[in-house]
Amino acid sequence: MSTVQSDLSTIIRSNENPLVRFATGAGLIVLTYVALYALYAVQQPRALTSYSIAALINNTAPLALAAAGQAIIVISRGFDLSVAGVISICNVTLAVYPMDGPGGALASVVLCLAIGGSVGLVNGYLVAVLKLQSIAATLATMIICQGIALVILKAPGGSVSEWIVYEMTDRIFSVIPVSGLILGGVVLIWLALKRTSFGISLYAIGADETSAALSGINVTRVRFLAHVLAGCTYGLAGFMLSAQTATGNPTSGTPLLMLSFAAVALGGTALTGGRGGVFASIMGAATLILLQKVLFSSGVSSFYTGMFQGCILILAVVFSSLLARLGDAK
Amino acid sequence: MNSTSKPPSQDHRLVQTGDTRVSAKISRETISTLSVTILCLVLLFSARLINPALGSWSQVETVLILGFFLVVLSFGQGLVILTGGLDLSLPATITLGGILATSWIGAGNPAEWYLLPAVLAVCGLVGLASAIGVIWLRVPPFIMTMAMSIIVASALLGYTKGTPRGTAPDMAVALMKGDILGLPAPIVVLIIFVIVGWLFQSRSVYGRYLYAIGTNVEAARNAAVPVTAMRILPYVLSAICAGFVGIALVGYSNGATLRMGDDYLLPSIASVVIGGSSILGGRGTFLGSVGGALLLTILGTIIATLGLEFGFRTIIEGSIILIALLLLREELFQKLRSLKT
Repeated sequence: MSTVQSDLSTIIRSNENPLVRFATGAGLIVLTYVALYALYAVQQPRALTSYSIAALINNTAPLALAAAGQAIIVISRGFDLSVAGVISICNVTLAVYPMDGPGGALASVVLCLAIGGSVGLVNGYLVAVLKLQSIAATLATMIICQGIALVILKAPGGSVSEWIVYEMTDRIFSVIPVSGLILGGVVLIWLALKRTSFGISLYAIGADETSAALSGINVTRVRFLAHVLAGCTYGLAGFMLSAQTATGNPTSGTPLLMLSFAAVALGGTALTGGRGGVFASIMGAATLILLQKVLFSSGVSSFYTGMFQGCILILAVVFSSLLARLGDAK
Repeated sequence: MNSTSKPPSQDHRLVQTGDTRVSAKISRETISTLSVTILCLVLLFSARLINPALGSWSQVETVLILGFFLVVLSFGQGLVILTGGLDLSLPATITLGGILATSWIGAGNPAEWYLLPAVLAVCGLVGLASAIGVIWLRVPPFIMTMAMSIIVASALLGYTKGTPRGTAPDMAVALMKGDILGLPAPIVVLIIFVIVGWLFQSRSVYGRYLYAIGTNVEAARNAAVPVTAMRILPYVLSAICAGFVGIALVGYSNGATLRMGDDYLLPSIASVVIGGSSILGGRGTFLGSVGGALLLTILGTIIATLGLEFGFRTIIEGSIILIALLLLREELFQKLRSLKT
């Protein structure tokens, strides 16, 4: 494995320049988030209480998890539209078949992970084994998933079990939000995974699939696993969304589709693959949500939120690629 | 009408090695266009088995009128995909066309003959903005067009204060509900559009330029292709097509809504991909996309008559897109070719 790693270092654009690492890593987006939060705190002094921080993280969690899964696929140079379908299925399942108590919550999480994982298995088979174009294959699975969600629940309704709704949006010792712990857990798992041969192979495939295959990476296996992993993450996103909304909606995942890509791009992950990360994408999602709050508290009509989101998205991508190019030029 | 398509004379897949001269006579595009067309016809006629009312001329008319919107969109989307991009701004641009047509013009406005082109020009500007972002700011097309979509949708929300008003311009109503030479007007316009679109993409020098850019930008630049202008063109044309669809939709349903374009984005991509184009660019024909768009429309009308719940209909639709993708796979074509030789 060590030989594989040393071979791969030539494929992966591992750049030691601090400017490049700042632009391509999570540095830029974390800085943006902190600056935006400072602005928010000036407008709303309440923003620094643990209650509002927890509320903000609760709002962020579903999109952040969707973006985390999407980032895994984007790093391996793919697109995954099925995120919307998986979240919708998980949401309606939890609303139609609520299971109460801690045991029920555990069963619900496992169920959501299983739903996401099985959709991921199908995607993985279509994209990795049958070599279909990922955007087209996941478009089909997304439409099928949306159909399944509509079969389970025709119109918005049902209610998610109270235990999930209360405990998943609560704070431990009145300080640490549960949703924040879950996000932290996902980031830790990712940081560990990134250092395994799977993580390294994922970046290698995204940067240059042919070279990766030539250096002995089993491209099919890695891509397959990536889709399963991403599917499970979407399942978790569906779980957290249900805890947030407390009710079922067969199209609840649709608004998260485009926003998940926006979050990934805002986090500096190149949509051409091989660059970026899960943590940066989660921060991208957090920035998008925080931006809505800041605009709202500045008195901007919610009609125009999209204009700011769109412009900031373009600016972020231009700025981060500009920094990366400046760094490369040195 | 698809059977008249001849393969583009040169095979642009330069990577192919080995002696393929015999098999290359039938290009991949021809096979995928033909198979989509055959699938369309089979579906149309087998629909009679499900319901005797289907498969008749009046059903063909319905399919063509409903398919009008998707065919026009798939032309623009196809051009953008051909050059290696993707246009996600279609829903917002469709809505832009529709809302400007109702709020600027409305029924009985004598100035519509120059205001309708003005609406299309505004839509074209959205495409131009996307192109500027993609080419000069080097924002990936996926992000740039998505951001434009979010921006335009939000501007429209603010402009209409959430409730679009106004009625459809007379020309838009005439376009969708009128008659030309005894045929429904949208069908005549559709046929003319398909012929012009096919001539542009597969027979004109501009179409050749786009294939060249989609295959390899640097090689195209070296071959004296006006790269910058030809990379702007698809985005502008796609936005104008979307605006045109917005106007047509307003004529069809006599009013605009803020979500009128939402249901067309994914089908527009699906049509192009089912029609045999590569999402990576450089490959695919407009006639293939037309076949893909009509296939999706036929499916929609057949599934609608089955009397199933909406959920099951959606599942069937997705499954058939998947089956079409599996049938049109690269490896299958390779096998078909090796059978022939």
